[in-house]
Amino acid sequence: MKRFLVSNQPWITLLFRLILGGVLLAAGGLKVGKPTESANATGAYKILPTDLAHLVGYALPWLEVAVGLLLIVGIMVRYSAIFSGLLMIIFIGAIASVWARGMLIDCGCFGGGGEIDPSLKSQVHRAYFTEIMRDLGLALCALYLYFFPYGKFSVEKSAQPIEEK
Amino acid sequence: MAKQVAKKADNTTRWIVIAMVSLVVVTGVVFSLFGQSSKESASIAALDGYTLKPAVTSTIDPNNGSAITFDNGAVTTIDVWEDPQCPVCKFFADANGDYLDSLIREKKATVRYHVLSFLGDESVRAANASFCAADEGQYLDFHKALYTVQSQLENSGFWSNESLVNIGKKIGINSTKFEDCVTKGSKVDLVQANSDSMSKYGVQGTPTVFINGKLWERTQNEFVLEEFKAAVENG
Repeated sequence: MKRFLVSNQPWITLLFRLILGGVLLAAGGLKVGKPTESANATGAYKILPTDLAHLVGYALPWLEVAVGLLLIVGIMVRYSAIFSGLLMIIFIGAIASVWARGMLIDCGCFGGGGEIDPSLKSQVHRAYFTEIMRDLGLALCALYLYFFPYGKFSVEKSAQPIEEK
Repeated sequence: MAKQVAKKADNTTRWIVIAMVSLVVVTGVVFSLFGQSSKESASIAALDGYTLKPAVTSTIDPNNGSAITFDNGAVTTIDVWEDPQCPVCKFFADANGDYLDSLIREKKATVRYHVLSFLGDESVRAANASFCAADEGQYLDFHKALYTVQSQLENSGFWSNESLVNIGKKIGINSTKFEDCVTKGSKVDLVQANSDSMSKYGVQGTPTVFINGKLWERTQNEFVLEEFKAAVENG
């Protein structure tokens, strides 16, 4: 496994850049035109004070789009990986916190958001689990990109020549 | 694992990229913020020239969850559960609010408004102000005004006690009693009593409507006046 991850590094880096960057770009892009909805969604987590939560809701879509683009084209991949890795950990924490407090909300990850009818409790809990697993997977992509930020089709290049097979 | 090293440290480019990304984010946030607050202040203008309709007295019925009750002896009873900040409640009020008003004024139905406040502080304030307006006999108009100006952003700071008093004044509720009641939060006990009664009636969200004690649900995606009317008339 480790050998595979190392020997195919340039392609895996590209793949992970596209997965992580693509998800961020999609998530941000779907929310960027609906700032109010996004601000309501972050407010619904009831973690931050309302005003601060709204501010995060306004800023997050733009940040996601920006970092998503950087990852896809391959600029500042290591920094973008650190940022998105931390972001995923925050998302996991936020969803876990909502779950632990017994709240039922739409994560608003790709738009939407807000409270959900208690009759859909089991579906919401399943969604929480899926979201945490997804964000965990994306966090692992970010971790890999932190160690190997330079791969195929990247604006930034590595100092060591990429070994071709 | 050995970390990869960049070809050469190019600090200038790095800072330019960071600056550009930050600029985009900041611009986005500023636009969103100003867009929101200007929409909210503009919405108040929609109440310009509002003429207050004749007062209708309501009672508070402790046996029915301390709802605002318009009991005119009619056989049909309608229970409406709403949170002033709930966007779907606005859709319900926009479609069916005038019809409900006419049922109350023409004594065709006993209507109980259960004012909930689970969407945060601004719901509590607006609910409190609603009970204050009910004391003036002007709940119906105040209710309508609240949904007319409702902000799309929950708890945005728009519904302060001051602006709730202002909304009242805009539609013609000028008494100092109303103002005191809103600013002092005199009705929070009733607000609490309405919230507490949710579980007793099995109400889990808003808007929830009971016609003669039976749960009514729309069959279409949107609230259509004809559908609601038919449901009321068929009991």
